[in-house]
Amino acid sequence: MAARSFQLRDPVNAVLAASVLGLLVSLGAGGYALLTSGQAAFNTRSDGIIWGLPIVTYDYFVLTSTGLALLACLPYVLGWRDFHPLARRCLWSALATLVAGAAALMLELGHPIRALYAIPFNLQYRSPMFWKVLFIGAYVLLLLTLLPLGNDARSERKGRAAAIALLVVLLGVIIAAGTLFGMMAMRPFWFGGMVPLLFLVESMLGGLAFAIVITFLAQGFDAARLPQPVHRWLVGPMPRGFAALIGLLLVMSATRALTGAWSHADGLQVWRVLLSSPLFYLELGPGLVLPLLLMLTRLRSRPAIQLCSALLVLLALFIGRYEFVIGGQMVPLFKGSWVPGFIDYLPSFAEWMLTLLSLSIAFGAWAAGEKCFDFARTGVAHG
Amino acid sequence: MTKWAMVIDLDKCTGCQACSTACAMENNRLPGENWQDVLFYTEGSYPNAQLKWFPRPCFHCEQPSCVAVCPTGATYKDPNGGFVLIDWDKCIGCKYCMIACPYGVRFYTDEKPLLEPDIRQVFPGGAKRQWNPPYRAPDARDDRAHGIGIQPPGVVSKCTFCYHKVSKAPAGTPDLDESDPALVEFVPACVRTCAPKARFFGDLDHPASQVNKLIANQRGVRLKDETGNKPQVYYLSGGAGAAVPSSRETVTKAG
Repeated sequence: MAARSFQLRDPVNAVLAASVLGLLVSLGAGGYALLTSGQAAFNTRSDGIIWGLPIVTYDYFVLTSTGLALLACLPYVLGWRDFHPLARRCLWSALATLVAGAAALMLELGHPIRALYAIPFNLQYRSPMFWKVLFIGAYVLLLLTLLPLGNDARSERKGRAAAIALLVVLLGVIIAAGTLFGMMAMRPFWFGGMVPLLFLVESMLGGLAFAIVITFLAQGFDAARLPQPVHRWLVGPMPRGFAALIGLLLVMSATRALTGAWSHADGLQVWRVLLSSPLFYLELGPGLVLPLLLMLTRLRSRPAIQLCSALLVLLALFIGRYEFVIGGQMVPLFKGSWVPGFIDYLPSFAEWMLTLLSLSIAFGAWAAGEKCFDFARTGVAHG
Repeated sequence: MTKWAMVIDLDKCTGCQACSTACAMENNRLPGENWQDVLFYTEGSYPNAQLKWFPRPCFHCEQPSCVAVCPTGATYKDPNGGFVLIDWDKCIGCKYCMIACPYGVRFYTDEKPLLEPDIRQVFPGGAKRQWNPPYRAPDARDDRAHGIGIQPPGVVSKCTFCYHKVSKAPAGTPDLDESDPALVEFVPACVRTCAPKARFFGDLDHPASQVNKLIANQRGVRLKDETGNKPQVYYLSGGAGAAVPSSRETVTKAG
């Protein structure tokens, strides 16, 4: 176990302390709201928004998790041993973010315990949700296989096989997550075969941004403490890849908005609302365009710039996920004068508490992993 | 096989909402949980404004998207009668079916009450049923596997086409007509109570049924047929009164 004294000046300790505080606040305040009001503490309604902020949070963290795991697979598959510490950190964070997302989902479901056995055992193969759960189950198993592996040759062989399987499973998770929305022909805002691709890009970008944040936090913002190959990657190919992914998402988001705003198809009028919202411009401007510009300048190799860009991208992805999930439900389905216009929705306090809970779990578990395991040397079992 | 269907004559419907009330009484629904609803629309603007209405039960579709997306098989299509039902013992409350239904006919009542006082607090229930009013239907009628009765917490509910009545109709019955004393107890509550007799209920697979004749002779249409869900509810409209809405919401890009 890596020995570290607990000083708040250490970024890992600071994140751990903030996460514990976040956990206490969210469990206290959110738990009280849920225990006293049940799901009436949410602002979701049968004649309003059905899937609210908890589902946004769940999807956001699941896609971040898959992105982290995709990134972690590469060193194992390609045999880049110098990157194994980074990969282990990403794998652990992938598990942390997956648990964070699952926590929001479990508190949103009507019968979370029943879901654990009813979904896999009823074999509803026509439902994308069934496939998503199936792939996530395999994803967890493979994560748990990869995490304890060390640096010896046998572990490397085993790690390569598991990473290749994990890549396939991750594509399954992301495609299932995308088709879960993309198959909804009755909701044209979501409908389309490109949605899984959009999810894939968002996942890769989210994973990379999260990896940048935790890498710098773990090294105390000191790039010199990183192994040389990782440092070279951070100042060389990484910013270019980061920029390419941001650019790709920008193009996809812009073309989606453009075609949606142009079309008169029933259900797409929601773009009028989205395009008049400052959130959309916050997502595109400071969230995506600014990091893209920064990554295209010479500033891109500076740790502070990379960290800020990654944080902005993570924020933009959250806004994008919110607009996507909520926007697809804003046009009411046959509610007549009960709902005369677009559906209004503002997340309730309890819903924000669930988001805080997920955020605290994601960063808290990552920081706890940094304290408990030595990602530089070995897998989590040998930490 | 029997395939129960409803035909609603919009030229006869007066928008009185007796169907909604009868459904709520028959099935003990919460305020706002309108399994059977009458939707009102205002179209146009002064001096050409029109008030329109549109009765809307669950459509018990032939190809229901709610059934396809349900990850546990809780929502299912009953082969005997073509009812789309919910098994409350399998439902996990994920609400994917509510997302996938093009017609917005499903309800998740673990939410803020529509009216105060919250009737669920006035007549508190438990794990077996979400609320427990003294005037509810007898326990013997509860049938969680078919979504009959007051639902437990954390599940989705919807119109059952009054499965508890219709499923007991004599086999081979072409139509369930409330004016036939021998069949009246098997007729869905909304059909039975419809004062202008705008509703008809019968077997689509029975060639002699009145619903088949009405659909054929009066050009019955289905709502949003382009979704491919193939509702088992048909609307008749000669244009004299209410009409099948062309879009699902009141706000369009055209304004």
